[in-house]
Amino acid sequence: MRPRTVVRTLSELCVTTGTLLVLFVVYVLYWTGVRADSAMDRELSRLQDRWSSGAAATAGPSGAPVPGEQQGEPPGERPGEQPGVSPEDPGDAARPPDRPAAPSAQAAPPSRPLPGSGSGQGAPGRQQAAPARPGEAFAVMYIPRFGAGWAKPVLQGTGTELLKKGLGHYERTALPGETGNFAVAGHRRTYGDPFKDLDELRPGDAVVVGDGTTWFTYRVDARPYRTRPDDTGVIDPVPAGSGFRGPGRYLTLTTCEPEWGHSHRLIVWAHLDATSPAAQGRPGALPG
Amino acid sequence: MYGWIWRHLPGNAWVRALISLVLVLALVYVLFQYVFPWAEPLLPFNDVTVDNGTAVNK
Repeated sequence: MRPRTVVRTLSELCVTTGTLLVLFVVYVLYWTGVRADSAMDRELSRLQDRWSSGAAATAGPSGAPVPGEQQGEPPGERPGEQPGVSPEDPGDAARPPDRPAAPSAQAAPPSRPLPGSGSGQGAPGRQQAAPARPGEAFAVMYIPRFGAGWAKPVLQGTGTELLKKGLGHYERTALPGETGNFAVAGHRRTYGDPFKDLDELRPGDAVVVGDGTTWFTYRVDARPYRTRPDDTGVIDPVPAGSGFRGPGRYLTLTTCEPEWGHSHRLIVWAHLDATSPAAQGRPGALPG
Repeated sequence: MYGWIWRHLPGNAWVRALISLVLVLALVYVLFQYVFPWAEPLLPFNDVTVDNGTAVNK
């Protein structure tokens, strides 16, 4: 009688543990995605509501100084084949957070001259409706390579809770279209898998960001770059290791690498290729 | 363990089965709502930023 009870209890414990593990896998693989998808949909529809109510005021007036198509950044900004000559030495990636944060950047066009860009076009002097509050969605990102329906909200900040509701914008970095580096983090796996296919991005692929008034079309410059988790230089205004040489309007996407691990990070860099007012409809890079 | 629970549930077999089902569903709810959200960040799928790594390592 006694051994029988022991064996039975042990078996029941094993079965219970197994069931718990299966449930947890279901939670991680499936349920986080369900929750994240509905949260992202909520953020997207909230953005659309805000834009349709407020955009009429901001986008309508002819005073909105949105430059029309500004095609093609000068080739000087394209990354050379030898990133080693980059002025930003990756070695000092761990520098203190002295990089020029851009809190007032949308009010102030680039105060420094742009030696590298040589394009006399100041920053797009557009007025952002209001700087996004932390945790608030302020833009939508489209990456046609990930599928025609791939559209994710971009939220201000990169907190753990926030990344369950969309992509996260590194707060210290530039806003879309600004000189500097618009850096965005997203989950590779779990929570909707937004950046699951980040490793499939190739040079020339479009990353389109819309903020309600303007479409920004970025073009990927190089194959995804794998780096260490503490390599903060990759989101510098001129990202270290990217091959970009001078100031410019860049985009950085970060996620974890390998897919299910956290030993490294996967980085994708792009440069601003074109902007167009939202009133003109979706840019050519987007299907449909 | 399960036999002990079954023996301590009231009613006939059908009532016990119903109560068991409710208990299981309640357990799954608690797991998905509270326990798993707590446990999930312990797994490495949340580390997608470059600066959080700095904060942790330093």
